Amino acid sequence: MGSLMKIWTLSFAALAAAFTPAHAAEPTGRAMAAPAPTGEAMAATCAACHGTRGKLGTVEFVPLAGMPETEFVRAMRDFKSGKRQSTLMGHVANGFSDSEVRAMARYFVNVK
Amino acid sequence: MLNRRDFLKAGAGLALAAALPARAAAGTAHVVIIGGGVGGATAAKYLKLYNPALRVTVIEGNRTYIRPYGSSEVLTGHVSMDDLNVSYDALKSKYGVDFVFDTVVGFDPARKLVRTAGKQRIAYDKLIVSPGISLQYQAIPGYSAAVAETRAPSGWIPGSQTALLAKQLKAMRPGGSFVLVAPPAPYRCPPGPYERAALVTEWMRRHNPTGKVLILDPKDSFVTDATMQLGWHRLYGYNIPDDYLQDMPAGVKNSGKPSPIEWVRAKDGGTVEKIDARSLVVTTHQGEVRADVLNIVPPMKAGKLAFDMGLTDASGWCPIDRRTFESSVHKDVFVIGDASIADAMPKSGFSANNQAKVTARAVVDQLAGRAPGEPVWENTCYALAGPDYGLFVADVFRLKDGKIARVPGERYLPLDASMAKIRLAAAYQQAWLRTFTEDCFA
Amino acid sequence: MSRFYFLAALVLAMNSANAGHAELPAPRTPSVNEVRSTLASMPRGDVQRGKQLNQSLMCASCHGDAGTAPTRNWASLAGQRAAYTYKSLLDFQSGGRHENDRATLMKVAVQGISRQDMADVATYYASLPAVATPAPKLDAAAHARADRLARRGDPARLLTPCASCHGAAGQGGINETPALAGQSVGSFVRTMQDYRAGKRNTDANQGMRQFAERLTMQEVRELAAYYARLGKK
Repeated sequence: MGSLMKIWTLSFAALAAAFTPAHAAEPTGRAMAAPAPTGEAMAATCAACHGTRGKLGTVEFVPLAGMPETEFVRAMRDFKSGKRQSTLMGHVANGFSDSEVRAMARYFVNVK
Repeated sequence: MLNRRDFLKAGAGLALAAALPARAAAGTAHVVIIGGGVGGATAAKYLKLYNPALRVTVIEGNRTYIRPYGSSEVLTGHVSMDDLNVSYDALKSKYGVDFVFDTVVGFDPARKLVRTAGKQRIAYDKLIVSPGISLQYQAIPGYSAAVAETRAPSGWIPGSQTALLAKQLKAMRPGGSFVLVAPPAPYRCPPGPYERAALVTEWMRRHNPTGKVLILDPKDSFVTDATMQLGWHRLYGYNIPDDYLQDMPAGVKNSGKPSPIEWVRAKDGGTVEKIDARSLVVTTHQGEVRADVLNIVPPMKAGKLAFDMGLTDASGWCPIDRRTFESSVHKDVFVIGDASIADAMPKSGFSANNQAKVTARAVVDQLAGRAPGEPVWENTCYALAGPDYGLFVADVFRLKDGKIARVPGERYLPLDASMAKIRLAAAYQQAWLRTFTEDCFA
Repeated sequence: MSRFYFLAALVLAMNSANAGHAELPAPRTPSVNEVRSTLASMPRGDVQRGKQLNQSLMCASCHGDAGTAPTRNWASLAGQRAAYTYKSLLDFQSGGRHENDRATLMKVAVQGISRQDMADVATYYASLPAVATPAPKLDAAAHARADRLARRGDPARLLTPCASCHGAAGQGGINETPALAGQSVGSFVRTMQDYRAGKRNTDANQGMRQFAERLTMQEVRELAAYYARLGKK
């Protein structure tokens, strides 16, 4: 790896470490230390149903763009626990930790 | 037909002035995408979303995309062949993606050039290849591309074979047998063949009530098998095998009466040994079956282009770096979608769409000199056991110990799901076909 | 594709009957008497049974455990008039409500449910207090405008006050109208847009459409915020 690349990687890692619980570069074997994807990266997995960047017309699914953070977090929490019924949202919510859900909420509320 | 060495040679010696430049202006990187299917289209769109300044060119052989997901609904007349068409106009006009409607005949990874049949030389800074699958017709003795086009269609890559299959189904004699040969793993769209069998069974109940659907399988199980069979049982009186029956909700009991749909698993001799294209007699480990309509979903491998470009390994699929999907063979070349070896991720449109986004982000990061971030992918697909009977598989995937692994947890519609939930799932499946297409192509 | 051509042909055929606005062909809208007799035949609803159905029929997943929609995109039903909810369910089931894909989803959701089921859930929602839903704050001028339309209407545009049908507190009930108090902003605006576009035509004598057409979209948005806040805090 060239020295420039090394500098970039170290800078990025330092920056990421300020926001994520562990080193952002390589995944470790321990699940606890696995770094988190960005809110945007996680939100991208939602787009196939909830619209690119959470924008939808009057289709059957819920648009997420601009959704208040508390609404998003509560919905995912209630889906995960089964308090709120769903077809597959309970399964999907199960795949994300609470802090990851908050990161996604923060991403969506800022989508105009 | 070029062999692999000729293919690379055709790419070599490309250089020089005639090539479309990679970096046209200072800092304008050029990302080239080969393949305008779900993977390629999504990658093109999201590259532009992540960095509108990038030049993005898609090289694709067909001017219109024919979507394979949901294509089984043509067989039942729920949609027409035209409804499967997807335009590339939005990618062009809304996102500024350039299209070269042509096929790739040469590739020079050292000089980072590809050449098309129309003699264009296209240079890239990063190359994303999303070549899909190739159907290995010849893997089944007696089967071939020619037989698939005229006599025993596959329709697993949609087009004329899909239309032929629909026509054959409508013309089938009363009481005839629709035989579907399922593929060995890994293959595109795990619940797909079983959804097709289910929809055909429902259609036959209305149009050919004494007709039968028979699935011949080289496998003993498939993704969504429990929920799918419960649906068949409730809708068509299907007799659930003992090993599944024990997990079914209380009160689920086989009538023992013959059902219009039957699944012959490998353990029961369902593996096909050969077919006779003229008589449509299928020879299995169990014996002979005569089909009135024979639909074969053959074994699959990565699309032929992946082989020509040297991106495959001995398995017939493309090894990649799990974090970015960069090819393990050629630097600055990424392989996404069905063709890639993605560990636990199934080969599906949804997977291709998600892989495209992660890879697009990784490409943008690499071009900017940043380390790629932590990836996450999903595969959440609805499928049908009947027009009003929905089910699904829902997975979240992470990198774990260097491989792509499922986050553990429930992944299917519960077996005790209410009819309200099942009806909703079927409605959501229809909605999903639309929203998914928009996310990839619009 | 054939469905599109069928609809297009219908629209052309009905052009003389529906001047201008309708994008979809309007089935004949009900008369006031038809609406009244539909509602008169509503079975007696059971609140407890309705509460169970709210879960078992998956209504709660969009409309909430207690009738307050968990996302602002779906309609809140807490405190809604039972007669209105009942009629809406009938209209969804028959295909009379077809304004968008969500109406289509409602048709699937209520497929096969009985009139008793409809009466039960409707009665359950009616028993719940309307809760104020989050809405943009209206400045004094905007609030005054919305309040004037609600209480006084606008004679220049032949607009009688919203309250004359929807009640002084937005509680509905007069002339079989729905409650508006605590309705989510998204639902309110979308409903008005659907009436303006002619996509909703289950209102007696197109009464609601005529009102919706005469309001500006700014007024619609202000009224939406006004009514959203009228529920109990």
